Amino acid sequence: MNALRPFLRRPEAASVISLIGVIAFYVVFGGVNLATLFGAASWVNFAANLGIVAVPVGILMIGGYIDISIGAMIPAGSMTIAILSGHYGLPISVGIAGTLALGALVGLLNGVLTTRTTVPSLIITLATLVVMQGIVLSGAKLLTGAASVPLSAPDWAKAAFGSLIGSSHQVVIVWWLILTAVFVFVIHKTRYGNWIYAMGGDIVSARNAGVPTSRLTIALFMLSAMSAAFVGMCGAIQFNSAQVSGGMGYIFNAIVSVVVGGVLLTGGFGSVVGIFFGTMTFAIVSQGIYFTDIDRNWSNLIIGVTLLLAVAMNESFRKLALSSGSGKRRRGGANGAAPAE
Amino acid sequence: MSKNREGRSSRLSLGSLARRPEAGSFVGLILVYALFAILGGAVFVGAPGWSSWLNIAAEVGIVALPVGLLMIAGELDISVGSVIPASQMTTAIIAGYLGLPIVLGIACGLGVGLLVGLVNGHLVTRTTIPSLIITIGTMFAVMGLTLGFAVLIAGSTSVFLVPDPVTKTILGTFLFGMFNVSILWWLVFATFVFLLLHVSPVGNWIFALGGDRDSARNAGIPTSRLTIGLYMLSGFAAALVGILQLMTYQNAQVATGQSFIFNSIMCVVIGGVLLTGGAGSVIGIVIGTATFAIVNQGIFFSGLDPNVGSVIIGVMLLAAVLSNDGFRAIALKYSTRKG
Repeated sequence: MNALRPFLRRPEAASVISLIGVIAFYVVFGGVNLATLFGAASWVNFAANLGIVAVPVGILMIGGYIDISIGAMIPAGSMTIAILSGHYGLPISVGIAGTLALGALVGLLNGVLTTRTTVPSLIITLATLVVMQGIVLSGAKLLTGAASVPLSAPDWAKAAFGSLIGSSHQVVIVWWLILTAVFVFVIHKTRYGNWIYAMGGDIVSARNAGVPTSRLTIALFMLSAMSAAFVGMCGAIQFNSAQVSGGMGYIFNAIVSVVVGGVLLTGGFGSVVGIFFGTMTFAIVSQGIYFTDIDRNWSNLIIGVTLLLAVAMNESFRKLALSSGSGKRRRGGANGAAPAE
Repeated sequence: MSKNREGRSSRLSLGSLARRPEAGSFVGLILVYALFAILGGAVFVGAPGWSSWLNIAAEVGIVALPVGLLMIAGELDISVGSVIPASQMTTAIIAGYLGLPIVLGIACGLGVGLLVGLVNGHLVTRTTIPSLIITIGTMFAVMGLTLGFAVLIAGSTSVFLVPDPVTKTILGTFLFGMFNVSILWWLVFATFVFLLLHVSPVGNWIFALGGDRDSARNAGIPTSRLTIGLYMLSGFAAALVGILQLMTYQNAQVATGQSFIFNSIMCVVIGGVLLTGGAGSVIGIVIGTATFAIVNQGIFFSGLDPNVGSVIIGVMLLAAVLSNDGFRAIALKYSTRKG
């Protein structure tokens, strides 16, 4: 137990155990062939699309906020590029810029409303979620007269955002890995990361210590909305058409991935590597079940149970991490960030 | 914050009216109704319009009431979205597929709701995990159980049930050919929740719980039992909606109810209850539900693109929370001096 202690104190401990546990469960009870599972593209593609959204949502959660407007931003991103570059025939670079700008704008709105009012970010982003859903659907119909908009991207854009590597793996997997690596560096090696942990632990103390909490919050919201728009954009380029449905599932899927990954909903505790493993766990549970003998109808049950078990593990590991520190503490706070270094 | 609502109600002045938590929501309701009365014309103002939005309001309203109580107590319940299909599938399998007495089916359907609430309540009170996460977990679990058992037992994701005339009259008929009987259930349930929150001592406990959990426990309030009770009430309400839908449409589906998760929260927030807990009223929740339903259905009478309805609801939501922020600031300014 003593040898394991340093590992268990890390925020990503429970997500690694969950991932191993889920794979073991599928091997023992589902008779899954590991070579087939790891060679399969379906769950990796699923994880990459989800992961690009889950990482910024998780970082926002470490900072103490939640963003559910991503559910509307994925179809919004998909629709924006299809309308700009497909329907109006503008260059694809203009379409990409417009899509990311829309994400930045909605994130800015979320961030400003969150920092200027006392309203919880869950409610604010619920409002922007509904508004954006309405604008995307009615706007698409108004501008193009159809609910589905075709888009044909030039070769370079297709290669960068919407191609298949080795006939089945989507190129977004590369984007997922790059973004995760960048965020690991930013969150755990730069002062911005420390600011985010400090803000999630105690925003008033962080502000008093000189952290520009408002600007930081707005930037994090812009990041999550832009990432969601980016995922929608890649989907539109890949499938040559914009899809207006299918974003809502990302809301709970992203939250579950992040929380299984060891991030504390109340902020101040978590790691990017944990979110990465949490996303993999979610993807293997929901897509890996097709490779097992288990009826796929039970996958949601397994997701629910995995979530509750992972969170319970996180709770006890966090207590373990704090028990060696001083005094009792309800939230991880700045102490929680320390083991990650 | 619960202090505001006590004591000073005897003198009716403009200030005390504006300070009431539901004042802003009521103004919103009037504005929205006026807008759709102009756009929708005589049809919307007449019986067809009223039945259309009241039918929607009743279903989401029955769920919104206990969800609102939980939010006043500082908790969330996401699992309602999967309790609705779980209860109607349970009832339909027992009374429809297996052909057992319908009373047993309804009892088991409601029992499923109470059981999910019991599990939620215990997990929320026994751990320090936020209720949002716990109820997302139970939502996924119940969704999986519903789908798994429906396919395992009935071999289908949709099960039919033809209720006997008495059950149909009580739970699934249309009065005057257009008003669903669930509207009456909504009114009965709203009265019950009103008495619970604003007349019985339990109401003060709920406000105290949302205001400051530790102080509430120190003051002798059985906070754990109260939280578990509130979760069981919301599970029961969601199960009731599932059964009302089943008796009306005579068909149980595994993939229904997800829209209730955010819709119920939106009704509650438009009604002036904030997630931060400790403030809110049942009248406000009913007004918020009516507002939501009027926009949701009025849009079909207005000739506008139905998706514009989402934009209106979202803007109302923002207006509600922002004005609440303002209203609460005024209320706090006039009632207490911050030290």
